[in-house]
Amino acid sequence: MRYTTFNQNNVNPLGEPMFFGNPVNVARYDQQRHSIFEKLIEKQLSFFWRPEEVDVSRDRVDFQAMSESEKHIFISNLKYQTLLDSVQGRSPNIAFLPIVSLPELETWIETWSFSETIHSRSYTHILRNLFTDPGPVFDDIVVNEQIRERASDISKYYDDLIFYVQLWQIYGEGTFEINGETHEVSRRILKRKLFLCVNSVNALEAIRFYVSFACTFAFAERELMEGNSKIIRLIARDENLHVTSTQHIINLWQHGDDDPEMKEVAEECREEAFEIFTSAVEQEKKWAGYLFENGSMIGLNKEILCQYVEYIANLRMQAIGFEPHYNQVTNPLPWMNKYLVSDNVQVAPQESEISSYLVGQIDSEVSAGDFGDFDL
Amino acid sequence: MASTHKVQVNSLPVVEVTTGESKSLLQALEEAGLELNYHCRTGFCGACRCTLTSGQVEYLNEPLAYVRQGEILPCVCIAKSDLSIDH
Ligand code: FES
Ligand SMILES: [Fe+2]
Ligand SMILES: [Fe+2]
Repeated sequence: MRYTTFNQNNVNPLGEPMFFGNPVNVARYDQQRHSIFEKLIEKQLSFFWRPEEVDVSRDRVDFQAMSESEKHIFISNLKYQTLLDSVQGRSPNIAFLPIVSLPELETWIETWSFSETIHSRSYTHILRNLFTDPGPVFDDIVVNEQIRERASDISKYYDDLIFYVQLWQIYGEGTFEINGETHEVSRRILKRKLFLCVNSVNALEAIRFYVSFACTFAFAERELMEGNSKIIRLIARDENLHVTSTQHIINLWQHGDDDPEMKEVAEECREEAFEIFTSAVEQEKKWAGYLFENGSMIGLNKEILCQYVEYIANLRMQAIGFEPHYNQVTNPLPWMNKYLVSDNVQVAPQESEISSYLVGQIDSEVSAGDFGDFDL
Repeated sequence: MASTHKVQVNSLPVVEVTTGESKSLLQALEEAGLELNYHCRTGFCGACRCTLTSGQVEYLNEPLAYVRQGEILPCVCIAKSDLSIDH
């Protein structure tokens, strides 16, 4: 079905499924089939921040004093996060916008992906401060074997969905031979590819950042790289919101609250979705091994990091209706939580709203202690 | 208006919590010495998700995380009666 940027048919968006219904026409939010996406947009906008607001200039001294193994850990993590956000800054738009059918979800996807571009820009901000020429760090991302291995797993479900949607847009349903390869395109096949893709993105948002987050916050616990840690805190807050959205999409399908055919697809693909999740967990544990291959850092080692990945994975699996799969039921890094708190502990609406806007210039002359529990 | 309720988490000993207007159940349980999972503490990440086996809660802030039937997010609700929850 050919994509149109303004569908002139009069469709009732309240009767549309999230995906593979009619293309969206009027960007209206006065009525919503799934109002959660509008609420996520509001939340994401209230989180708005700019990397330049965080002063990272003091990190340079800390970085220079690090051991070689710690530098390896720090830089490798930044490379990996750069890869993740490079993918996320474009792929939700390219993969999901051509097939989305609800205005509130369409706008959520754009808002979500836009926030990922802020993350990408923040890595340049951090690296420019650490290196006169950050070029080699970025250049290594496409040649580094460890990163490449992850990149192909992360992008393959997106790429597959995008390619099949392109075929469908041009030729409709049927069997097509392209460059000597045969591709069968049907609505059902497209929906299966969509389901697997969203599960892969969910795993990305749910666990792929956490090894890196743990290392960053372990440095911060030693009062090192605190500018960087402030930025990563803001990123972590955003990522926690992104994973909420992919969990909602998966759960709406699974519980039959959206497209009935997607409920069947979710049942059919349950095993595969489980494997997507657990293989992402294994990859992250391998990443922990790679980080520590030249030596450890104070406060963290490979074993405890793997336990933390399993702990987070259990929480995330339960959120999409899987039984917790790993033995690690308690949090092996309790200090992580204080960096993942999104706001001050106030839950009164006015207070929690206001502090989300309190993103001001952070002066490096103010020590971390002066902030106390105050969140950025 | 503060009120006091008895809460049982898993099969741990029952604790008493006092919930005020702006003190979440999560906070109240922590003050009673329990440790629960949490990240955001503002109702969007789902890390604190529990199953409510008996009792009633009231939300201070609308949760953004997906909450299935029978589940609660203690970081954004308060106890309205004695509770029994699985975490
Ligand atoms: S701690 Fe995030 S939802 Fe309760
Ligand atoms: Fe991101
Ligand atoms: Fe994200």
